[in-house]
Amino acid sequence: MSLELQLLLLAWGTLVGLDLVSVPQAMIARPLVAGPIAGAMLGDVATGLQLGVLFELFQYDILPMGATRYPEYGPATVAAVSAAHAATGTLGLGLGALVGLITAMAGGLSLHALRQLNTRAVRRAAAALEAGDPRVLERLHAAGILRDAVRAAVVTAFGLLLAQVVRAYLAGALPPHGVALLNVAAVGAALAAGTAGTLRLVGRGPSLRWFAAGVVGGTVVAWLR
Amino acid sequence: MSPPLTRARPGLVRSLLRLFTVQGSWNYERMQGLGIGVAEEPLLRNLRAEVGDDGVAYRAAVARGAHFFNAHPYLCGLAVGAAARAEHDGVPPEQVERLRTALCGPLGSLGDRLVWAGWLPLTSGLALIAVALGLGLRAIVAFVVVYNVGHVALRWWALRAGWRYGAQVAQALREPLLQRATALSAPAMALVVGAALPLVAQYLSSAFFGWARVALAGVVAGGFGLLWWQRARLTGVRLGLALLAVAALAGWLWP
Amino acid sequence: MSIALYRLDDRLIHGQVVVGWGKPLNVGFIVLVDDAVRASAWEQELYRMGVPPEIEVVFASTEEALQRLAEWERDPRVGILVAGDIDTLAALTANSHRVSRVNVGGLHHRPGRSERLRYVYLSDAEAAQLKTLAARGVEVTAQDVPTAAPVPLKDFT
Repeated sequence: MSLELQLLLLAWGTLVGLDLVSVPQAMIARPLVAGPIAGAMLGDVATGLQLGVLFELFQYDILPMGATRYPEYGPATVAAVSAAHAATGTLGLGLGALVGLITAMAGGLSLHALRQLNTRAVRRAAAALEAGDPRVLERLHAAGILRDAVRAAVVTAFGLLLAQVVRAYLAGALPPHGVALLNVAAVGAALAAGTAGTLRLVGRGPSLRWFAAGVVGGTVVAWLR
Repeated sequence: MSPPLTRARPGLVRSLLRLFTVQGSWNYERMQGLGIGVAEEPLLRNLRAEVGDDGVAYRAAVARGAHFFNAHPYLCGLAVGAAARAEHDGVPPEQVERLRTALCGPLGSLGDRLVWAGWLPLTSGLALIAVALGLGLRAIVAFVVVYNVGHVALRWWALRAGWRYGAQVAQALREPLLQRATALSAPAMALVVGAALPLVAQYLSSAFFGWARVALAGVVAGGFGLLWWQRARLTGVRLGLALLAVAALAGWLWP
Repeated sequence: MSIALYRLDDRLIHGQVVVGWGKPLNVGFIVLVDDAVRASAWEQELYRMGVPPEIEVVFASTEEALQRLAEWERDPRVGILVAGDIDTLAALTANSHRVSRVNVGGLHHRPGRSERLRYVYLSDAEAAQLKTLAARGVEVTAQDVPTAAPVPLKDFT
């Protein structure tokens, strides 16, 4: 993969990581967007779509509320697409998932570290903030955004590097049925996570019936196709 | 309070733009506080003009604006607008603080229900269905556009409603469209994501054959059971990594 | 079914309560115990706006809560009781043996408090108060949402 392409993916992953929490929360951080666009950059939309869908399911497992810590799937999906791209087609699902899940965990850790850095900066500036100095306030805020951009770039770079390593050392080493097993594990885990996360949102109230109706409807359509 | 209203428009636009960064300096101590303060500041500039005051009222209001706050990011505008308006209306400082505090919970809960548990999974579920049915990149573009029409409209409405109602902001939340959208979003999301799951399962397993399909059904059922009963310990990401490790080991041992 | 969760949370009723706990528990009512909110009509209106119509919200002063606790515990629906400060919840446990578990869901930064967990800031006096509660046989754990692991008291005081 050329350096230009790697840099393009790095830029995209950084934007995606910045979007999740900081600016502008337009949900390009959703794997379903991050993945296919990364795929398009590599000229491999199909792989991008597949990993986008796969990680979108993992994303359903997460509710971004308050101080809860959660994995970050945006830059992770970009890295996953990069890893799966070389393996061509469905064969890359498992390898992509491996790279993506590890990167997602790293992303979650980095978000926690960022928030601690921000907390420390706020504590240091407490006096100026209490005095109502608008310039200090704006500078702190801008520094936070900048920190997040750096964080997103570092996480994406880590993911892309991991993708290179996996492509170089793992892709050829696995026998065909090993690859198939990895794919089954990846898709199975994603579907289980997506279903569990959705059911937590749906709850045991009246919406549960609507969910059941949806599952039946979707199954019928899938059957007829 | 007519002077601030007539001069408010440029302030409101600037405030809205800043609201798109509201979580940019999210921290454990003040959470969204700094972002709220930054977004509120353009609406407070009129206070500098108060005669014989030397900017004391303005600075005090800016300091209050940056105190602890946390709610849904898209609805923060309601708090920004309402607090700024209350500052203009001469509401006593303790009351402004009380208003901000009282807004955290309701705006968080409403936004989480309307967006995180409603609009977002609803539109994302529709996009998943479209991808599974073969619409490809068009589905992704449609998702980004449709989702953000709702997103931006909500942010803009929230800021304007907050500024309009000030301390009476509860009236803004009574808005029938908002209440109806929140009530409808839960069953609509459930139906759509429910329908998306089997279609996506088919889409992702299209290249699987024979034993792989049987194994997939087993993995999904087992994985779901584990996630459901061990919800405080097991997360999707851990389940995924554990299953991949088992699969890699099995694939390596397989003769 | 009674009250499934006695929660300490200074944001009182928010998304973690309504969506995070409310959905999986299928909550039918939420009791908000806070003397200031009980006395303020506009604040009550706000809190009610954040909750779906099928969930009843009851506002109570500490005094009223003490009197009605038995009634809520007999309620066939599942309920959550939320209080914003330790004093209020401690008062409820002092005169009653019904409250056997307390969930610390979120107490945020304030002057005098120091960080114990990402979502729990306590002053030394507050930490001591929680320990007193625990010494009386109340199980005190911190847990913001059901998908997080509960943290035992000794790990954050």
